[in-house]
Amino acid sequence: MRQKFLFISFIGLAISSLSFINGNDTLFVKPANFPEPLYRFNENPLTPEGVELGRLLFYDARLSRDGTISCGSCHQQPSAFTQHGHALSHGIDDLLTQRNSMPLQNLAWLSDFGWDGGVHDLDLFAVSPIQKPNEMAETLPNVLDKLRLDSAYLLLFQKAFGNSEIDTEHFLKAISQFMLTLVSANSRYDKYIRNEGETLNAEELAGLSLFKQKCASCHAGELFTDQTYRNNGLKITNSEDIGRAAISLNYADKYKFRVPSLRNVAQTFPYMHDGRLGTLQEVLSHYETGVQAHAYTDPLLKGGIALSTTEKTQIIAFLNTLTDTQFLKNPAFSETGEAYNEPSVSIGDWTKINFGELDPTLKVTFQEALVSYLDITRAIAKEDGKSAKETADKLLKMLNQIDKSKFSALQKSLYISTIEDLSFDIEHISETESFQHQRDHIGDVGKNLFKLIKAYHANNKPLYYLFCTKANQGRGGYWISETPNSANPFFSTNNKCGAIKEELFNN
Amino acid sequence: MKLWKNVIIKPYQTMKLTQKTILTALLLGFTSLSFAQNNSIVLNFKNVVGNEALVLNEKLYTNASGEQFKVSLLQYYISNIKLKRADGTEYVVPQDESYFLIREQNPASQTITLPNVPAGKYVGITFITGVDSLRNTMSVGRRTGCLDVGGEGKDMYWAWNSGYIFVKMEGTSPQIPEDSLRKGHYFLYHIGLFGGMKSPTLNNIRTTTLAFEKPLKVKENGNISEIQLQADVLSLFNGSTNISLAQRPVVMANPFSQKVADNYAKMFSLKGIKKLKASEKSAEMVGMK
Repeated sequence: MRQKFLFISFIGLAISSLSFINGNDTLFVKPANFPEPLYRFNENPLTPEGVELGRLLFYDARLSRDGTISCGSCHQQPSAFTQHGHALSHGIDDLLTQRNSMPLQNLAWLSDFGWDGGVHDLDLFAVSPIQKPNEMAETLPNVLDKLRLDSAYLLLFQKAFGNSEIDTEHFLKAISQFMLTLVSANSRYDKYIRNEGETLNAEELAGLSLFKQKCASCHAGELFTDQTYRNNGLKITNSEDIGRAAISLNYADKYKFRVPSLRNVAQTFPYMHDGRLGTLQEVLSHYETGVQAHAYTDPLLKGGIALSTTEKTQIIAFLNTLTDTQFLKNPAFSETGEAYNEPSVSIGDWTKINFGELDPTLKVTFQEALVSYLDITRAIAKEDGKSAKETADKLLKMLNQIDKSKFSALQKSLYISTIEDLSFDIEHISETESFQHQRDHIGDVGKNLFKLIKAYHANNKPLYYLFCTKANQGRGGYWISETPNSANPFFSTNNKCGAIKEELFNN
Repeated sequence: MKLWKNVIIKPYQTMKLTQKTILTALLLGFTSLSFAQNNSIVLNFKNVVGNEALVLNEKLYTNASGEQFKVSLLQYYISNIKLKRADGTEYVVPQDESYFLIREQNPASQTITLPNVPAGKYVGITFITGVDSLRNTMSVGRRTGCLDVGGEGKDMYWAWNSGYIFVKMEGTSPQIPEDSLRKGHYFLYHIGLFGGMKSPTLNNIRTTTLAFEKPLKVKENGNISEIQLQADVLSLFNGSTNISLAQRPVVMANPFSQKVADNYAKMFSLKGIKKLKASEKSAEMVGMK
């Protein structure tokens, strides 16, 4: 009799927890080609309100001591929630993080988190970056106190959890709910492998086959990681970062780091736990000829991986098929919650398009923008971060005040598709006095500004477009100049690195 | 009588089997409550250094390695408390209410009350110094009160290596070489490590079992007893390994911490059991609240 009672209640519990796992079908769906997730959904079922609250918290800089850094600062959606182009990230007071910012994707399938796997529960991860002095430098109790003063958050917590009391458990669970929705499983590779009508070309297929032979022992399965910790033969440049050994306390794990997932790898550069390799070419070259023969190298990699030039090209072609554009552009994951403005006309190769005559007042604005830009590059070359910051702030305001109704439809499409990135980098320069940090961004400002000036024929004097291959840790950087030989802003004054890529006449 | 029959007996007879089971269970539960013979027990933790009371920051003490030291901070988790009876059975404090954070800086935290201890004769006590492994793997919702990583437990938790700090002691010693970064002669002992999640690591959880000199009787409506325990800071340094502050000023999540844990396994002793009069009942510290 009692046994029957217990049995019935057990079934009841099992059924209710199942429904929690399925919860809201659209917020988290297990892709057909993925294994079962590991996260305990029954302890934190996803709801639209919980996910929305988590998203707002994720992008809220109040989680940092001085209100300048949010999770989204170092985990940016267009680069699969890594930090675009940064080997290490900048925390509070421009302090550097120890390691490269990891992508936030498919977290429900991970058993532990971080390059050394020190955190075993997604719900408990956020505590670490929030409290690290070189990251957000805040304490969790302070964060909760700040949120409790915000009536909007009181209401959001009420809607999400039925209780407006903002406590540790629900704060952390809300952030988890948002992060769990970040599922990337709709790359071209996925659609191909699931027979959803996508085809891979010969080069990509050859790359896939090579990948399975030469890479998949570690970058295994549909998650593209076997979730182990290994040393891949990188030269040990920071002997203090012992990786997994700090957690396992097993010295056999010294200098081992997690095998990362390769999904969206084309977007998550630079690579490795310290971001030392800037391109996929460099990564494959490392595996071919760069693997060190030190004692810590994984036995699977000793001697490197034989790869011909063709094979490397094919593998890279395959890796590019792991890019999931839907994931990278999904407005539900973004800071504003809105879709990134897609141009109303598809631009394609903009260099082949005639954008027509630009409105004269806009031309003047772009000429003024150029003057500000040149001032910024000169300031950065002189290591005067303060002036650069102030001018960048003015430039940002100038661009924000542009009257877009003066563009033609075609001109506006180009502008909208460019201004997001352009503002992003100018904003970074306007937020710091560190010329080193500003150097990380000035290249992309030059690139995007030149694109607009060239497309609109907005310059009233000849301009030179230069490129220095050594800038940005070997990824190179562009800048615009009025003379063919101005100093590049990426290194200290009088650095000679730079070659003219283009000369823009004023006509 | 008719009322009794219609309202109670008849409905009971017509009830389905499962409903009867539930009702009976509830009734039994209520009856056991009303015949309960429970009372509270108080535990008091006093921190000492050998024969002297611990005074933070002011007094200079000496350890077995001959080093002088001052203590600026001492706190530790006590959990999973059990009281042993003469027949060998135990009263296990309900686990969710069996976590306490004792802070030398906060005298009120040094006295804890265990409510609803069943009446009987107890001959000993067992507890864990630290937080058990299972709790270290539980969901954030199960970590409340002094285990709240964003609340009372905020300074006893490693966010980068998920797990609680079991014993935290900090201070200074003139024998410690000066720290170039912090400009002082500091020692930092943050001892944790619950055994590991994905693969086994160090387990610094230690259990202490102490026998009472005379059996402790718990009676409903009787006087409340206070078990007076003592934690001797010197034991942290002098034990199976004598620990030198000069050689080891910082001990955190590393293999050496095991030596410290082996020492603090013997840190606690029983000072006595006192019968509290009603006016002496100290501030209640119940469970994880």
